Amino acid sequence: MKEILVTILSITGISTVLAVLIIIAEKFLNNYGECEIDINDGEKKLVVEGGSSLLSSLASNKIFIPSACGGKATCGLCKVKVLDGAGPLLPTEEPYLSQEERKEGVRLSCQVKIKKNLRVYIPEELFNIREYISTVTEIKDMTHDIKEFRFEFKDGEDIKFKAGQYMQIETKPYAKVREKATRAYSVSSVPSDNKAVELIIRRVPGGLCTTYMHDYVKVGDEVRMTGPYGDFYMRDDSDDYVFMAGGSGLAPIKSLVMDIMERNLDKKMIFIFGAVSKKDLYYTDFFREVEKKNRNFRYVPALSRPEPEDNWEGETGLVTEVLKKYVEGGKGKHAYLCGSPGMINACVNVLVDSEFDKKNIYYDKFS
Amino acid sequence: MKQSPRYNQIQENMKPGAFTAHGFLGEDDRALKDIIRQDDADVEKLDLSHAQIAGRMQYFTELGKELLDIPVVVDEIYEVLVDDHRGEIPCPFADNQKAIKTNTRFTNKKLGITIYWSDLNIHMIRYHGFYEGKGSFFRNDPQKLAKALGLI
Ligand SMILES: Cc1cc2nc3c(=O)[nH]c(=O)nc-3n(C[C@H](O)[C@H](O)[C@H](O)COP(=O)(O)OP(=O)(O)OC[C@H]3O[C@@H](n4cnc5c(N)ncnc54)[C@H](O)[C@@H]3O)c2cc1C
Ligand code: FES
Ligand SMILES: [Zn+2]
Repeated sequence: MKEILVTILSITGISTVLAVLIIIAEKFLNNYGECEIDINDGEKKLVVEGGSSLLSSLASNKIFIPSACGGKATCGLCKVKVLDGAGPLLPTEEPYLSQEERKEGVRLSCQVKIKKNLRVYIPEELFNIREYISTVTEIKDMTHDIKEFRFEFKDGEDIKFKAGQYMQIETKPYAKVREKATRAYSVSSVPSDNKAVELIIRRVPGGLCTTYMHDYVKVGDEVRMTGPYGDFYMRDDSDDYVFMAGGSGLAPIKSLVMDIMERNLDKKMIFIFGAVSKKDLYYTDFFREVEKKNRNFRYVPALSRPEPEDNWEGETGLVTEVLKKYVEGGKGKHAYLCGSPGMINACVNVLVDSEFDKKNIYYDKFS
Repeated sequence: MKQSPRYNQIQENMKPGAFTAHGFLGEDDRALKDIIRQDDADVEKLDLSHAQIAGRMQYFTELGKELLDIPVVVDEIYEVLVDDHRGEIPCPFADNQKAIKTNTRFTNKKLGITIYWSDLNIHMIRYHGFYEGKGSFFRNDPQKLAKALGLI
């Protein structure tokens, strides 16, 4: 009996000592101390506590790399070139990186744990991305499923963005949603209106962020966002522009058109807006007004399935057919497309057939 | 049935508010492995494969995508309407796959059945044999799905 007790006690004792040793070892092994992140060959140097991800360490130093999944390695947006010190590629990163990117040292910054000094390359434009805490000051119903929100920045902060770019807004936990989520939304207001941004958000039935924005967010609420992101912005080197949008895709086009008007640029512009029926049209009076004021601007709303009561006399049918009708000869012209992936793919084909140079066709990637 | 920690984690991903607002399980409180096992057995009984079912769904979705937001009538029996949104959604099986937020409304006019699926459903059926839990908006019972698609 005594022997059994002694055996049990010694096993327990040994286990306890081992557990304590493991805890101490972990503390030391995982204690990477202070590490330096050298950005763009010494342009910036950050000293951070090791152990966190590169993405979060950069964010806590106000350098915001695009990300839509909160570091779960499911969006593939947070790519950064790590020239030194990143350790081996993780299986979670592999699906997102091409052979070429791997050779160049591109990594998913949310998956790179900082364990020693790092040398990274970050494109200059990302330094302009900042975090904004905003207050919702206006919510307008644009159609049965589209709302426009105005977010004014706290403490009179201002933003520098190019017409066409997008922001990432963060939802707070609501109903059964326990975690924060981020989603991208194109800015619909003009860059000169720099103390606020306006976003046009279309409800996706059951969608995590759009349900939050449409059903939970009220005037006066605080919303956190980062931005601006994206390379969907105007290149000035053409005199002839085709804008094409569907649904909420009108947002960046509105910003682009207003910006061109404000800057008094002498550009020929046509804006084809595809909707299902009249109830899906919005900002019609606004674009008609622009048309009146600027003889170089033409607005063509097109309905794919007008209702009989719409008494619609404008363009109908497939938006690609309308595009074919209005766009002849794409040489030297630029096209800006914004809408559903299906619409974009179909329109790119039409434009290429009309001799648009592929590099002059701009649209946001879908992820 | 006991399932691996990996499946427990996937089942967590499928709860409301993790990857999507309403999750993938509806009111189903069975273990994920059991949900998949039961549907797998049902598909086998129909003498079909998940790939066949997913392939037929994909076929209709692709036809729908050609006409953007105009409904497409196929073989005079089926009506397909595709509604796609910007953005992609990750697969809850954490296999680093993503699907564009494309939803298909599919009607078999002869049988009077209308069902919905997203591109993610096509992926999850093809690669994971997962039709979602009972009561989930995007769940389609294999039997009903195969019937609506004209496979049985
Ligand atoms: C660069 C960029 C700019 C954008 N700009 C705008 C903009 O200006 N305005 C705008 O409205 N949107 C914009 N978007 C889209 C936006 O980011 C969101 O993707 C969109 O609003 C939907 O988000 P959500 O969280 O509501 O939907 P989510 O919850 O992320 O997704 C909903 C979809 O996921 C699928 N799904 C959900 N649950 C299930 C299930 N159980 N089974 C199967 N499938 C399921 C379905 O397809 C469903 O429709 C933009 C996207 C990008 C990439
Ligand atoms: S933040 Fe989404 S993959 Fe890194
Ligand atoms: Zn998957």
